[in-house]
Amino acid sequence: MSLVLQWLTALAVMAVLPWFAVNNYQHFLLDLILINVLLAIGLNVVKGFAGQVTVGHVALMAVGAYASAIFSLKFGLPFWLALPAGVLVAIVAGLLVAVPSFRLEGAYLALATLGLAESVRIFISATDYLGAAIGLSDIPAPSFFGFVLDTHLRYYYVVMPLAMLGIYFSQQMLSSSVGRAFMAIREDPLAAEASGVNVRFYKSLAFGISALYAGFAGGLMAHMTPGFIHPNNYTLVEMVSVLLMIILGGIGNIWGGIVGAIVVTIIYDLTRDYYQIQMILFGSIIVLTVMFMPSGIGGVIGHRIKNRRFIALRKMTTQLKSDRNDS
Amino acid sequence: MKTIKNYAIQTLIGSALALFSLQPALAQERVIRVGVTMRLLNESGIAYGTMTRDELLAANAKGGVNGAKIEVILLDDECKPDKGVANVNRFIHQNKVHLILGSTCSSVTLPIVDVATKEQVPQVVPQSTNSSITQKGSDWVFRVAISERFYAAVHAKYVAENVGKKIAYLYTNDGAGIAFANQFKSYMKTTYNIDPLFEAQMQETDLDFRSQLLRIKSMNPDAIALGGQSDAMARQVQQSYEVGIPKRTVRVAASAAVNIPFPTLAGDAAEGAIFAAAFNCRDERPLAREFVAMVNQKFKVSCPDHDFSQAWDSVQIVKQALTKANLKLTDASLADDRRAIRDALTSIRYEGLAAGPIEFCPAPTPQCRDGNRTGILVQYTKGGKDFESKVLSRVGFDKDFGLPK
Repeated sequence: MSLVLQWLTALAVMAVLPWFAVNNYQHFLLDLILINVLLAIGLNVVKGFAGQVTVGHVALMAVGAYASAIFSLKFGLPFWLALPAGVLVAIVAGLLVAVPSFRLEGAYLALATLGLAESVRIFISATDYLGAAIGLSDIPAPSFFGFVLDTHLRYYYVVMPLAMLGIYFSQQMLSSSVGRAFMAIREDPLAAEASGVNVRFYKSLAFGISALYAGFAGGLMAHMTPGFIHPNNYTLVEMVSVLLMIILGGIGNIWGGIVGAIVVTIIYDLTRDYYQIQMILFGSIIVLTVMFMPSGIGGVIGHRIKNRRFIALRKMTTQLKSDRNDS
Repeated sequence: MKTIKNYAIQTLIGSALALFSLQPALAQERVIRVGVTMRLLNESGIAYGTMTRDELLAANAKGGVNGAKIEVILLDDECKPDKGVANVNRFIHQNKVHLILGSTCSSVTLPIVDVATKEQVPQVVPQSTNSSITQKGSDWVFRVAISERFYAAVHAKYVAENVGKKIAYLYTNDGAGIAFANQFKSYMKTTYNIDPLFEAQMQETDLDFRSQLLRIKSMNPDAIALGGQSDAMARQVQQSYEVGIPKRTVRVAASAAVNIPFPTLAGDAAEGAIFAAAFNCRDERPLAREFVAMVNQKFKVSCPDHDFSQAWDSVQIVKQALTKANLKLTDASLADDRRAIRDALTSIRYEGLAAGPIEFCPAPTPQCRDGNRTGILVQYTKGGKDFESKVLSRVGFDKDFGLPK
């Protein structure tokens, strides 16, 4: 099947998927899963592929969400303009976050991005214009020629194409020279520099692309009914959830990250009734994944495929040898 | 790579199937379903939630409500709006609840009101105080907690008429702190034309308030208004003595000072601090004494705060409304039943643990939906683990009080 046909089939399947849902809550979960998929892909680009340890990803989501909401509420821009404008602001913020990565690595970069993330949250909490600690409400849902997309089912048809586009874009980008440059930086920035990779440029690009995804996720979350955002939605706990998505799915594996986002969102929902142990459960999943499945679901699957191919190849070689001996 | 993608697609389809296999709670006949969303994972959160659930379920032991059993779904919203909205979406669409009870935090209740209104499900608000909750014009919302528009005046009137006009404001930037300070300042300005002597907003995670308190000390205020969550205010009041602000300067705290961490963390510094509340555990009424004994026995809390009492009052109101409403309780009658419960709530007049009656009326206005309009001004007479308090005054308000003209 050609690539275009594969994507068209996937799009068709996704288009009919919500019709199998039994109620509006499952539409809501589908929207949430797709937004988390965008968020996880964004983090995977900068963390999994470019190897930059950032814990400021939810802050970029917050920037996208608030910027898009402000453009809508205060400047009267329609969703279709407010969302990309919000994403642009998030990209600018992402490029700013990239600056410390030029000189810092590992835990130091994590600490710097954590500081930036907390600054964003505190700034929002203290700014009346942004709704401060009360939150920003009545963010309008998108409308299409007067048809308001204010139910979770209708909103799905805004989120789904964007998520599919995001997956397609990430796949294409990461299998191009840009993806290879990211991976070269992740493996060894000095060697990458020596091989002619402009490390600063690609690091900035990784943060910018990651912010693009986070911005879209934030903007989509802000405009989803009931259209309310609050600084408490962008804390370190949320960051840990996104990290869990890519750790569980597989750092540096786009499909793994997507699977991680789906699995984590569903597990979170299924364990909602067990709130006393929910965080322990999530913490344990991270620890156990790192201990026994460091490459995540994607990595395990990849490893099995390699093993199977190797065994098949060995069988084939042995068969060929015995055939030759027989003859 | 292609095979990884195939596996991923298989997992994706599997997950989707898992998602869709989550069947909604089977809508049983003759069952009233109540969804409760609260902040559960804090000092008394689990106790508030458990008490609410147990009190609702207690009706089942007595044969239910008009023969129908009550089913309670209790979820934690972590005081986060997105979690609260997710809980309520699940209550409404998956659990098919007849009524929603919640939440603790105003920042969660505000978006929930929009969801409940859109989906036409009655919502009883036990603990959130933000004035805007009932000013959204929702026909489906009923608040049992005292609105900030009343609380602010309880403090402010007392301070302006009995303490003095030089007031310094120190508060944290959480919803409770900001709302307390803004309402207090606004009431002082509009009623007495008094401007703040000093004002500082701190982070909710701040631990050290001494530099601001030293500045306040140099201005020799008559009163300091301290806003925020109970632990933050405990630190503020304790540090106010450490920097040498004299005892004659009255410490006025936001209503969260009623919560146990305030007097226990502040210790002796809590003595003399005043705050507005909906209930005092030293209330001598038989109902109140019975309630305090129940909470003490079940949750080992010797002096339950007004979050306990408001949750309890909310449950009694819900039970009254469920009894009054003529419910059919079939799958087809869900929308009608929700409407019947709403209509029953509009005619409730209840006297319980609150300092005054709680009553609602049909109009979707704050006048009708802020049911509790009686606050009490409380003063701590002793801090620490065995804290003591006394009621200074009881203030009832007119329905229109504190609303924008």
